Amino acid sequence: MLIKLEGARIYDPANNINGEIGDLYVRDNMIVAKPSDSETIHKTYALAGKIVMAGAIDLHTHIGGGKVNIARTMLPEDQRDNVMPRTELTRSGGGHAAPSTLTAGYRYAEMGYTSCFEPAVLPANARQAHMEMADTPMIDTGGYAMLGNDDLLLQLIAEGAEQQTINDYVAWTLQATQCIGIKVVNPGGINAFKFNQRALDVDDTHPHYQITPREIVTKLSRALHELAVPHPLHVHASNLGVPGNYLSTLATMDAADGLPIHLTHIQFHSYGTEGDRKFSSSAAEIAEAVNKRANVSIDVGQIMFGQTVTISGDTMSQHANHIHAHPNKWTCMDIECEAGCGVVPFRYRDKNFVNALQWAIGLELFLMVDDPWRVFLTTDHPNGAPFTSYPHLIRLLMDRSFRNDLLAEINPDAGSLSHLSSLQREYSLYEIAVMTRAAPARILGLSDRGHLAPGALADITVYHQHEDPQQMFAKPMLVFKAGELIVEEGRISKPVNGTTQVVRPEYDPGIEKQIGRWFERYHTISLPNFAISDDEMAEGIGSPVSVHPCRENRP
Amino acid sequence: MWNNKIDQTTHTVTCPSCGLSCDDLQIETNNGHLKSMRNGCDKAHAFYQTAFSNIDKSPLIDGTPSSLDEAIERSAELLQESSSPLFAGLATDVNGMRSILSLADCCGATLDHMNGDASLRNLRVVQDSGWFTTTFTEVRNRADLILLVGSQCMERFPRLVERVLHPTETLLDQARERKLVLLGPWGSDPLPEELTHLNTLTIPLDLERLGDAVAMLRALIAGRPVDLDRPDVGDGDGLKALASELKAAKYSVICWSAAEFDLPHSDLLIQGLAELAKELNNESRSAALPLAGTQADITSNQVCTWQLGYPLRTSLQRGYPQHDPHLNRWQDLIERNESDFLLWVSSLSPDASPPPCDLPGVVLGHPGMAFEALPAVYIPVGVPGIDHQGHWYRSDAVCSLPLGKLREIGLPAVSHVVRLLHQKLRSNSACLHGGAAC
Repeated sequence: MLIKLEGARIYDPANNINGEIGDLYVRDNMIVAKPSDSETIHKTYALAGKIVMAGAIDLHTHIGGGKVNIARTMLPEDQRDNVMPRTELTRSGGGHAAPSTLTAGYRYAEMGYTSCFEPAVLPANARQAHMEMADTPMIDTGGYAMLGNDDLLLQLIAEGAEQQTINDYVAWTLQATQCIGIKVVNPGGINAFKFNQRALDVDDTHPHYQITPREIVTKLSRALHELAVPHPLHVHASNLGVPGNYLSTLATMDAADGLPIHLTHIQFHSYGTEGDRKFSSSAAEIAEAVNKRANVSIDVGQIMFGQTVTISGDTMSQHANHIHAHPNKWTCMDIECEAGCGVVPFRYRDKNFVNALQWAIGLELFLMVDDPWRVFLTTDHPNGAPFTSYPHLIRLLMDRSFRNDLLAEINPDAGSLSHLSSLQREYSLYEIAVMTRAAPARILGLSDRGHLAPGALADITVYHQHEDPQQMFAKPMLVFKAGELIVEEGRISKPVNGTTQVVRPEYDPGIEKQIGRWFERYHTISLPNFAISDDEMAEGIGSPVSVHPCRENRP
Repeated sequence: MWNNKIDQTTHTVTCPSCGLSCDDLQIETNNGHLKSMRNGCDKAHAFYQTAFSNIDKSPLIDGTPSSLDEAIERSAELLQESSSPLFAGLATDVNGMRSILSLADCCGATLDHMNGDASLRNLRVVQDSGWFTTTFTEVRNRADLILLVGSQCMERFPRLVERVLHPTETLLDQARERKLVLLGPWGSDPLPEELTHLNTLTIPLDLERLGDAVAMLRALIAGRPVDLDRPDVGDGDGLKALASELKAAKYSVICWSAAEFDLPHSDLLIQGLAELAKELNNESRSAALPLAGTQADITSNQVCTWQLGYPLRTSLQRGYPQHDPHLNRWQDLIERNESDFLLWVSSLSPDASPPPCDLPGVVLGHPGMAFEALPAVYIPVGVPGIDHQGHWYRSDAVCSLPLGKLREIGLPAVSHVVRLLHQKLRSNSACLHGGAAC
């Protein structure tokens, strides 16, 4: 099958194409160069006046795993208020903040997204995360395995294990859990909470292992660098949500010792203590630090006003935040000497000073970080807001007068404390394409997507040109997944299933003996039952793996 | 781990006979026969021996042996005639449940698990207030005080003490001197043997009085005034001492099995236990360990929750999921004649047969199943972990373990049979909504 997308305006930042009019050719599942004139083109889409980008990639969205299912279980009202009936093409489901897996897949595709990454895969729960993502149709998926609160790693660091041992453990974890990256959440803090510690700043000492979060970040970011894993350490920093935490965030950036590091949902980590309420924006300090440090990338975790649910591995912070639960119910869990989770429903209100300032801080960060290749568009779904608010967020970034209109409506004290009204920047379509396509593909090491050059997977989104970017991005005209037309006019036209994206750095298999001994002594699962094989992914879990290469220049 | 090979000898077999899901069973087979077995409890031995002694089963249509194709054909006819099908039992693995949900979506079925009453006692607490829970490895290595509520945890989960509550080795020193407090209907009988050499304290109390005792514990911990001599809570001084110990513990665990609490409004008792654990976390560390998972109740609820957004007792009759813990109780739907077809799925135990009822019924059952009244169609299915591979959740709802394949005697997996049934409906154009999603 050979198809032609003719005459659209193309935004493909990975190949420096900025709105030029051109043609694209797709053979089966791939984008190909212009075929010879003798070849038959089976289908031509005349797209004059339309906009084409690669399929969008969400590098941080909680779409699968035990904590998401806890949120669904705890919030039947979220399902009841957001019903999605069955159609001829799609299964039934529902939910807004914690949608069913099927609903999440359909909604992502209907917004032009073709790959999504679950950022908090607990190794003990990796099977479930992959099973849920396998039941999330339309999109390719992947996960980041959580380390840095597991007693095994903390013990290794405390005992002064060689960096090589830690590297082997990290690489083994990636293989055993079928993940593409490593995330650390509140480094050491989730573990310290199990010893009844209620805070652990970057240079505080863990009450049992006598190590610091800084050491954990340093060791893990070095491990990923030395293993040549494309995605840098994905860090949910210490002190989430605590006024004054921007200092912890800056310290965490520096803990990477100049090696690549990704700080996630940084909006929640950019708070100062100025003003009468001792809560202020430190977005300027954070943005300046990001601008100065080429090794740092961030995603924002923008909040939007309305009801959502916060889902996090950070039991320490979530337990502290349960007093804000709305409705008033919450769940926390300590898990398998690995980490934990906390699920707290939340309603962000525009007239509330703190919430309004959080909203402004997120936007300030987007607008003050200069390089769109190092700032990613996320709401930390569903923590800041459900992913379905992305089109609205894109409009906020692209349309200054719209932004200022909304700024005028929020809590006036928050509005007057924010720099937002003075920020002139408006994102271009090219920059939106960078932050939602080209940059996430690059930072995850996915050379087969996020761009439109020959050889790329034919994940393509076609938009109607529209004055209002929100309307444009909410309802693409066409979406292709691996060359198949799956969405027409913002509605699913063909259900498909995706694959799981992984990386496989090499390691010394001798590490398995060491891990095996630990499992035998302390664990309640045996090691052979812990690791997930490729066959199990394909035949049992239902999402075959697609292995992406590590960087070639391994140090 | 995952292939279609039969494991003749393996040392890490996951046992699905209860929610503990011990995965250290050593099983040796020889051409489909069980040769030897180590590490399993009595329940596990019975589970494997029963399954391995049941072979050579063909489907039955109205009691007459038939082929699988004929049984599927007849099942599809019965399902097509139904306007309000009920899919219950649901003791199956993850892929079995996935196929059942897909079929249910197509034909507007209502879904409930055979353990629905027990599951809902816990689920309603999560829906109403949430809880603070923990998992087996955490308890094993960290707990210094364990409060066991009720008296059946060990009976229902036979290796609980060995695997979780009191292992030979723990990561942290604090767990080595752990104390077990038994609060519940412990009579004058001696304690179970595995508890006798441990540091235990028993506070005997009838099940019906547990709710009041837990309320008193919470009041004591919160420092509210209480009357310790209230006769309805038994040993007031014992509870006062327990409250002090819970507050002083480094990591206390509150453990129960909801199935034991078969009494009116026991969700309120469970809510009290859950709130107790939450409140202890204001000052120290504590977590709840609700025990469940037997007959795949956690497994089927997990899959239902991620695919439909709701746990079980959910109906798809209107073309979208509707959850109602009261209206969708399977026993009531049968009794009130609110369903006109029953698909009963029970692949783990020969004893969990469908209730005798007048509904046209299809049973996907354990090969050794005995019936009080034969259903219209009985399709013997493979036992997960013996006849086919699969996934199974243990009690804490975090760890889903792989189940292996130990023999091949032609018994199909639930997922396979349900897919055939679904295909048959589709080829008969009998799905409610039609289209590619069927």
